[in-house]
Amino acid sequence: MSKVIRSTTFALSFGYIAFGIVALVLFAAPLWYAWQVTIEDGRQEILRADTVRLTDVFHREGAPGLKTFIDTRVGMQLPAERILLLADSSLHRIAGNLTRWPDTVPEKPGIYTVSLDLSGVPTASVVVRTALPGGYNLLVGRDVAKFADLQRHFWTGLGGAVAVLSIVGVLGGVLIRQAILARINSIRQTVLAIVQGDLSHRLPTRSSGDELDTLSHTINGMLDQIEQLIHGIRDVSNSIAHDLRTPLAELRSRLEELSLTRPGTEETFAEIEAAVADVDRVIRIFNALLRLAEIDTGTRRSGFVQVNADELAAEVVEFYSPAAELKNVTLSFASGGPVLVSGDPTLLAQAVGNLIDNAIKYVGEGGTVSVDVRTRSDGGVEICVADDGPGIPDDEKPKAAQRFYRGDTSRGTPGVGLGLSLVQAVAKLHGGSLELADNHPGLRARVALEPGALLSGRPRSATVEAQGAAAAVKEPSAMAL
Amino acid sequence: MKLLLVEDNERVTRFVMKGLQEAGHTVDNADNGREGMFLAASEPYDVIIMDRMLPGQIDGLSIIETLRKSGNRTPILILSALSDVDERIKGLRSGGDDYLTKPFAFGELLARLDALSRRSQGSGTQTALEVGDLRIDLLSRKAVRGERGIALQPREFKLLEYLMRHAGQVVTRTMLLENVWDYHFDPQTNVVDVHISKLRQKIDADFERPLLRTVRNAGYMLSADE
Repeated sequence: MSKVIRSTTFALSFGYIAFGIVALVLFAAPLWYAWQVTIEDGRQEILRADTVRLTDVFHREGAPGLKTFIDTRVGMQLPAERILLLADSSLHRIAGNLTRWPDTVPEKPGIYTVSLDLSGVPTASVVVRTALPGGYNLLVGRDVAKFADLQRHFWTGLGGAVAVLSIVGVLGGVLIRQAILARINSIRQTVLAIVQGDLSHRLPTRSSGDELDTLSHTINGMLDQIEQLIHGIRDVSNSIAHDLRTPLAELRSRLEELSLTRPGTEETFAEIEAAVADVDRVIRIFNALLRLAEIDTGTRRSGFVQVNADELAAEVVEFYSPAAELKNVTLSFASGGPVLVSGDPTLLAQAVGNLIDNAIKYVGEGGTVSVDVRTRSDGGVEICVADDGPGIPDDEKPKAAQRFYRGDTSRGTPGVGLGLSLVQAVAKLHGGSLELADNHPGLRARVALEPGALLSGRPRSATVEAQGAAAAVKEPSAMAL
Repeated sequence: MKLLLVEDNERVTRFVMKGLQEAGHTVDNADNGREGMFLAASEPYDVIIMDRMLPGQIDGLSIIETLRKSGNRTPILILSALSDVDERIKGLRSGGDDYLTKPFAFGELLARLDALSRRSQGSGTQTALEVGDLRIDLLSRKAVRGERGIALQPREFKLLEYLMRHAGQVVTRTMLLENVWDYHFDPQTNVVDVHISKLRQKIDADFERPLLRTVRNAGYMLSADE
């Protein structure tokens, strides 16, 4: 269990609960205050008015009149609802509903909240003490006990709200924590499995599209990329081991035999020359691999310039045409006019060259190879090299561009099996792809350069100036070579 | 030719020096950057062969830059194990005239040295080139052998022009690829050979003395001599 997660979810839910309570109190406090003030004021108002009325009676009718008035009133009203008490100067009861003058009332006239003994029960009351002429003392009051109930209800309600908030908050926190923990745990399990070396695992995703889901999708994308890279490296190492072992083994046995048998000069020279040829083959494979690695790192993108794909392809076609003629292969070129792309002219030329070279190699005597360059309706550029040779079986097409892959049909032909890999790498570098399709009969290799790749054009750099200068202007129409 | 080889690898040095001496050249050797810098700046050479990575605080490219800044125009061939296109561009930008990647064939090195020394002699603004009875006009882009005009495609003309500018020298397939087509990659098959044989058909087929010869393990040579 992760301590971080635990503390995070709990801190979060407790934070929310504390926040809720503070909000509740902040909401209740003014309400409470307003309530208190209003009720207090109203109560005091009533008591004062009552006092004034009783004082008036006293002034008009004297102490006996007031005693009668109070007695009448006490007889009418419910006990303890209102407190009325008239006492003489020595605080002896004259009239009223209290049995004796309470000790708790201070001596000075004024409004007080005191505890009074009402029918044997001490009760909180508000009283107004008035001094009447002749030393008489008047006490008018009201029992506030039933308001205390109301007050208690208020506080109980508030406390209940806080309790409910806390419980719901804690429950919610626990539930959210469990839900998140479950998902994070499944991510953890997957990542652990990957760390152990099984790259085929993927994080579980839902269609909810929430933050965790988006994160999982992103991580899965990264894993796809890593898996592809690792497989690529593994394939390459295997293939290098296989493809380099053959010429190296030949070279070794040749040299060893030479040192053992010590043949005559002529034969020795012939063997040495063959050995050099073996080494050259190894070097060629290395160079091709280095170039692929160079392309794969993507650093070549910094050297992109504006390239006319149509002119570039036409030149490559022209370059290969004598080789086609020699094999009696018809090599034709068609284009819909100038097609500007942003790219590396050397790599693009090599890619198109590899496709044409492959096509001529496999198409056989009297075959046809056609190259065409066109702009798609969505702005992308396509360079197609189609032949009517044996083609590649459907199940082998996805493998054909893998490094060192050599189809059964190509066993007898020269090459190191990196041609299509290079084309694919170049297409990818240019934001495009290599597609191998059926040409019925034959192979149709299409390099699609995405329109997005055309936007980052940079001025022609010094290194490729010769390219444009050397190129004779071609007719944009179809030309047979 | 008087050559300077700045290279620290003993085996490469021995191999190159022996080959160059056998080809009739005088070769000085410096096995570190400082000595190389000193020799290059103080002695007159026809061509300097410069390794890029050298001991002695100063690398090949820095030597070249310093030489160029001080006005030394001796042709320099850079020899390097760094084969990236970017590295090649860096080498040529620093002031090198040609770039050869290790490992290399000796024939390639020799041919490139010859081409460099020829370049430094300066061909001026020639309007015509002549090898034996073969003549090309660079302005009208016409080729004539003996009395007969030869019809050439633009690229064939360019190929012939390059061969004629380097008449009497061995020209390798890579040199042709780089200079005639500006392709800096391995075209997988012997396409250059096919172009050469097509050109040979046009300029040599009906004549008694062939001008365009294949030099075994190296390349081609256009020459009027037997």
